[in-house]
Amino acid sequence: MEQKIIVNMKDIRMSFSGNEVLKSVNFQLREGEVHSLMGANGAGKSTLIKILNGIYHAVSGNIEVNGRQVQIKTPKDAEKLGLAFVHQELNVCNDLTVAENMYIGNWIRNKRGLYDKKATSRRAKELLDIMGVELNPDMPVRKLRTAEKQVIEILKTMTRDAKVVILDEPTSSLNEKEKENFFGIIDRMKKNGVSIIFISHFLEDVVALSDRVTVLKDGVNNGIFLRGDYEKEDLVVAMMGKKIVGENMEPLTVREDAKVVLEVRELSSDKKFNNINMKIQLGDVVGVCGLLGAGKTEIARAILGLDEFDSGRIFLNGEEIKKPRPDIMIEKRAVLLTEERKLEGFVPLMSIRENATLSVMKKMSNRLGVIDRKKQKAFAEDISRKMTVKMSGIEQNVVSLSGGNQQKVVIAKCLASQPELFLLDEPTRGVDVYAKSEIYKILREAAKAGTAIVIFSSELEELLANCTKIIILKKGMITGVVSTKELTKNKLLSMIG
Amino acid sequence: MKDKTQKFKDMFGEDIVRLSIIMLFVVVMSFASPYFMQMKNMMNILQNISLQGITAIGMTMVIITGGIDISVGGVCAFSAWIAASLMKGDMNWGLACLCAIAIAGLCGMINAFSIGVMKIPPMIASLAMMNMTRGLQTVISRGTTLTGLPESFQVIGQGNIFGVIPIPAVIIIVLYLLAAWFMNRTVLGRSIYAVGGNPEAARVAGIKNARVLFFSYITCSIFACIAGLVFVSRTNSAPSTLANNLEMKAIMAAVIGGTSVTFGGKGKILGTFLGVIIVGLMTNALDLLGVSAYYQQFIQGVMVLLVVFLEAIRSNRAAKKH
Repeated sequence: MEQKIIVNMKDIRMSFSGNEVLKSVNFQLREGEVHSLMGANGAGKSTLIKILNGIYHAVSGNIEVNGRQVQIKTPKDAEKLGLAFVHQELNVCNDLTVAENMYIGNWIRNKRGLYDKKATSRRAKELLDIMGVELNPDMPVRKLRTAEKQVIEILKTMTRDAKVVILDEPTSSLNEKEKENFFGIIDRMKKNGVSIIFISHFLEDVVALSDRVTVLKDGVNNGIFLRGDYEKEDLVVAMMGKKIVGENMEPLTVREDAKVVLEVRELSSDKKFNNINMKIQLGDVVGVCGLLGAGKTEIARAILGLDEFDSGRIFLNGEEIKKPRPDIMIEKRAVLLTEERKLEGFVPLMSIRENATLSVMKKMSNRLGVIDRKKQKAFAEDISRKMTVKMSGIEQNVVSLSGGNQQKVVIAKCLASQPELFLLDEPTRGVDVYAKSEIYKILREAAKAGTAIVIFSSELEELLANCTKIIILKKGMITGVVSTKELTKNKLLSMIG
Repeated sequence: MKDKTQKFKDMFGEDIVRLSIIMLFVVVMSFASPYFMQMKNMMNILQNISLQGITAIGMTMVIITGGIDISVGGVCAFSAWIAASLMKGDMNWGLACLCAIAIAGLCGMINAFSIGVMKIPPMIASLAMMNMTRGLQTVISRGTTLTGLPESFQVIGQGNIFGVIPIPAVIIIVLYLLAAWFMNRTVLGRSIYAVGGNPEAARVAGIKNARVLFFSYITCSIFACIAGLVFVSRTNSAPSTLANNLEMKAIMAAVIGGTSVTFGGKGKILGTFLGVIIVGLMTNALDLLGVSAYYQQFIQGVMVLLVVFLEAIRSNRAAKKH
């Protein structure tokens, strides 16, 4: 049976200041299907979607919705056509209730035209029930976890009778269990006749969800795959033009007598984590694994002194750090790559040059604090080349880079201070497969050159592929330390769950 | 050729609206008033803007950190009045000025402590400081005006270099160049941008945010004090109404100059300079055209809105291109 084409983007071209980003891209969404859009960072996915949303305007090409040619000039136009976008950054109002967030801007009114709180709550409850979501509609959204907030955003599209829902990286902050719920919701939406465009870097999620996958590479279509007709590797090849799986991934070995860089003894913080002990050696790559809310981020932040802790001791190279503070820790050569890249990773209005050297400005200045521009430039050029940042030059703004390249700049900033201890919190979130493998390579090289690395992550494959051992974290407590030799994903999964 | 235009765009692209407005003023006014283009008038403009001009430098720094300081008028009036009264009490004028600067610095320190350590919103903290300083100044001045200051002190505001360039004009230009260089080239200057642009990222990168805030607010207060001293010296009087509305004028200059009050990390010292010049030119033009002071305030308001609108249109367009 040939399904009706509901969104048809034909020969879309787009360029930014002479730089061609999309070179005649075609994209067709059929009614009631989940259609994934894949591609490496910079392949043109976001640009294509922003054109559909009316944020960018294509240089040439046509868009048809339900067979009718349309002009989408603003996001409002897109909304009128029944297209709903759920962005990676959540746009919920924390102080409104679940129900109010679902009906925001689309308020349910009573006969007198006033806002009807009861009806809102009731209708929200109905929808929550239909979608199998167990949430109290009258609860303030502030109290929800990220994954639940995301569900609210998705359900919001349904209160507006959107026929087409575009989901941008919806699974990146979900753990395995939440993912299952999410898949269930998508299934039910499909049954209700909603067509879905799914944008993701997670191969497994794409394979599990999609009826059809369109792959973009360097601004052109590079393959369409139908459910069941392809392997994961086919997608990677289409995205990258080469196979990268398993490349350069021989297990790391650590000398037993290597010096202990970080030692944590009985670290506790009320309601966050309890009695945390760990020893990290030079040249080792250790993973810390746990579900969302297990305390990974909290521990990393406490060690670097970003948040306070209640009791316990932290030693760096044998020296006790009584009250860690980020500036002290950096001076003692310990750095943290924080989880929230946009909030804590870089200064948006600054160039790659300044961001990469943010924590080492002092080292490239004279006694009066005057920065040596030449030194700074040379350093930034050198380190961004080592990190393989795709950029027009070091004066480019970091915001204008793709997610993966932003992350590389943040890693460059961390490595700029030549750390002996490098903590990374979810280092590859929102980063494409290729950039991921490059980041892993950088980390392995740093480890070999003499850095102790700790990766806090909920991505099991990442930990299994890169770490020598994994610390299992459950509800703020360490429940085990396992060697990654002969450890499988399923075994690890059962340990953290 | 293409490189050159690109370079020009990089340097002045953001200031295109401001530069055009200044050009427009100069062209129109040179036809409207024969007096306008004379060297004397130009110097007069520079002299007249010195009060808000010098204050706007510190204000720009503070706004770039993501804050605001509405106590500059109070600090300026309070510290300058004390300097004047010390001079009347036969203190060496240099020493009196240093005392004033120390008092201003202390005010700035209290502001920074409230904002950087106690985490009180900058608007509230500096509002309290504004009331404290204004209040104290009223108490000690009792509404009187001090005049007859030492002649050696009056030279700062009234003297000329080479017989043509007034010293306040020199002071303002030197301070702007120094501040622009400082903000662009030094670790502390760049840290101010980093703290304003993303305080969390700055903290993670090991920047001591509180220290940066202390520096900015203290500098802001001291610049307000210097501005006040120059003004008192120029007019040979310290009235009790000294520096009324100074905070608003300084914020206005910074905003016309492209400094963002909605989020930190965005703004340029030289942009503020252009902003100060625009305000100065406008006041001067209205004076020369004989417009009454009541209308002037209204026209200034319209002007600010106009510049900010034009600037918003320009930056929205520029943002779309990227």
